[in-house]
Amino acid sequence: MVCGEKMRITFRMWLVIIMVLLSFISIFSIPPLFLQKGVEVSSVNTDSKIFSEGLRKDMIIKQINGEEINSLSDYNNAINYIKNLADNKTEKIVITTENIEIIGLYDKSILNDISIREISSTKLNLGLDLQGGARALIRADIPITDEQLDDLIAVSEERLNVYGLSDVKFFKVITSSQERLMGIEIAGSSPSDLENLIAQQGKFEAKIGNDTVFVGGEKDITHVSRTSSEGAMIYDCRDSESQSICYFRFPISLSEKAAERFAEITENLSLNGTHLSKTIDFYIDDKLTNSLSISSGLKGKIETRISIEGSGSGASRQEAIDDAKLEMKKLQTILITGSLPYQLEIVKIDKISPTLGKSFINQILIAGIFAFVSVSIVVFIRYRKIKNFLAMVSISLSEIIITLGVASLIGWNFDLPSIAGIIAAIGTGVDDQLIILDESERNKYESIAKRIKNALFVIVTAFATTFVAMIPLTGLLNFMGIGAASAGLLKGFAITTLIGITIGIVITRPAFADIAKQLQKD
Amino acid sequence: MKFNTWYNKNHKKILVVPAIFLTLALIFLAAFYFQTGDIINKDVSLTGGSVFTISTDIPPSEMTNHLSKDFTDFTVNSISDNSGNQIQLIIAISESQAGDLKTSLENFLGHELNSENSSIETTSASLSKDFYRQLIISIILAFLWMSAIVFIIFTKGIKPKIWIIALNLLFGFFMGKFFYSLNPIISFIIFILFLAILIKIYIKKSVPAFAVMLCAFTDLILTLAVVDLIGMKLSTAGIVAFLMLIGYSVDTDILLTSRILNKKDNVNTAMFSAFKTGITMTLTSIIAIATALIIVFRLESVLNQIFIILIIGLCFDIFNTWVTNASIIKWYVEKK
Repeated sequence: MVCGEKMRITFRMWLVIIMVLLSFISIFSIPPLFLQKGVEVSSVNTDSKIFSEGLRKDMIIKQINGEEINSLSDYNNAINYIKNLADNKTEKIVITTENIEIIGLYDKSILNDISIREISSTKLNLGLDLQGGARALIRADIPITDEQLDDLIAVSEERLNVYGLSDVKFFKVITSSQERLMGIEIAGSSPSDLENLIAQQGKFEAKIGNDTVFVGGEKDITHVSRTSSEGAMIYDCRDSESQSICYFRFPISLSEKAAERFAEITENLSLNGTHLSKTIDFYIDDKLTNSLSISSGLKGKIETRISIEGSGSGASRQEAIDDAKLEMKKLQTILITGSLPYQLEIVKIDKISPTLGKSFINQILIAGIFAFVSVSIVVFIRYRKIKNFLAMVSISLSEIIITLGVASLIGWNFDLPSIAGIIAAIGTGVDDQLIILDESERNKYESIAKRIKNALFVIVTAFATTFVAMIPLTGLLNFMGIGAASAGLLKGFAITTLIGITIGIVITRPAFADIAKQLQKD
Repeated sequence: MKFNTWYNKNHKKILVVPAIFLTLALIFLAAFYFQTGDIINKDVSLTGGSVFTISTDIPPSEMTNHLSKDFTDFTVNSISDNSGNQIQLIIAISESQAGDLKTSLENFLGHELNSENSSIETTSASLSKDFYRQLIISIILAFLWMSAIVFIIFTKGIKPKIWIIALNLLFGFFMGKFFYSLNPIISFIIFILFLAILIKIYIKKSVPAFAVMLCAFTDLILTLAVVDLIGMKLSTAGIVAFLMLIGYSVDTDILLTSRILNKKDNVNTAMFSAFKTGITMTLTSIIAIATALIIVFRLESVLNQIFIILIIGLCFDIFNTWVTNASIIKWYVEKK
């Protein structure tokens, strides 16, 4: 090959190019997020008027009163006139989102009911330590089984929902002493009374009118059946042209006292068709969650075993069954709230301020760029060949882009440990490329293919060693009892390192080997 | 080639140097253990306690003065922006005193601490202890499993490989399920037994694998000793840095081993060519990490500790790869 002749692009190089393009799509989405106009709703108070009118989290506000909204300051200017209203005065607001238009009269409180953020320009999710939020690990004061932990998570999920915290993730953690912990992650601003919220199971009450029938945790409800052998089941489905409805029921057992109270209260209710005139209402922490009608047959009867019934619907039979199952589980969860037989204790709680994390991201980007430049300089000094230098830089950049692409594709949360993982992977990548370049340039009596093979042998061995070193931290070895607790917090490091080095060994390294071969022929 | 002849004659004797270093470091760590009850200084992420990060321009000295009236076991660090102005203070405090710190800070600052102006991270002592254990297990396993990979790749014959895989998996189960739950003495005896069997197989069947293991171990111990000497308090992230260190350390060792065992060149030539590549690898890593460290240093994040440990470790690794490992392999190849 004559110097200056074009490089032949091999299949492996094409693979890298295609992966980089796909990664850009995965990171920036199509059409690119940074071209999108409007502001994003980061949260809406679930008790507010605007919530009941249909405004939800993650909606994009395009216009207010006909004015285009492209930034937070646009939003603030557009809604500013509401701020100056007198306390009991209302004013008309027209909010146009991507999907709906809301027109209504609102008072000042709307300003606090909605929080707004700029639309993020990439699909990369930032971890708690960078974007702010809260993370907690909760322990029960007695050893609990996996099923009990599932109950605890279901109960807590239901309860945080009641408080309007829907962007909450739950996870399980097993410590080295085989203790089961519940993990909670809440993104963004966290409520100031979070500790109280998560360290208690919550209070369940069932009321008819204003009279309390039973209370969770007070031995009023002695058992909630949750398996089909105990009678919890979907017993009927009906299909009409437009939708299917499935009906479920499950029995619960009441204490003698609760049953008497139920009889006493229902005794005075009038009949309304096949049902009683009032419903039985379920409250969690004094907030209404469900209302069920009471069958007329139960009026004034002392029954310690009653059946809870409900339905789910959907476009198809299967959807209706799934919806009914979900609804049944929700009701069962509400009924056991407050009655889990243990106290909770917070063993770890991190509350990271969203404003403090921001300063960090820029610094890390700058650090990354400088580190990259300094490595490039060293490589250039070492080889003094512009082609080698360009090949290394472009392959390393591709590797970073593909790693980020994969991360946004699988919805990985980037936290500080993950960034350390990327650094580790890129460092390994640069090392590997140095090995390929050097190996291709020595022992000229061997064929270039053989020399590249030697280099790849070292690289694959090094890959295998890093791989086994990271595995304990990923949580994949839980069955061996390894790394479960630390996995919750250092998983990010291990997973990103693994993603990075795997992309290296499968995609970028073979391409670089091809480049090195051609450079040698020059 | 003066160096060549000198090296051919003295490569075994040179091994005394790393041996002395390793012995001194081990003695130091043993003394450290008897004095403090552990081989490292742990920060609140490993001992339990709280870390408050607050936006304030109150100088750290003033904060320290205020807090020392009511508290004993705490540290205050400042974070500054690019122009050197302080933007935040980081206050770490042990679990027993953490309860009152928030109120004390709020009184001193004259405003409430909420999620806008502060971050609070709290870990209980029991959980921290568990993290620490899990991390130690992870490091030990990473270390042994890496050695196992090197053994499997550089040894001939199927039977010893199967033995090594089985032993290492068994060891994994033991570490995960029983190491901390059995009686400590029995645990320790089983642990040593496993180690002894593994090391014996390595030395007997594959000296290169043993050399890689020894080299990574020496890196680890020397770095640990320096980290203790400079009084660094290790966090969970700091322990992860040791894991990264083993990874980087093994890379150059594998390069060296494979070049020498390739047998096409004489040992010294192979070694020098490997040195040229290997030293570039390690130096680029050190330079990249050092550059990044300078930029993020003032943010006082977990990255600082990771970077500092890596730099110290990589410097030792240059020495251990090209003196310790190289000499052992030369010795082994020439004996064969």
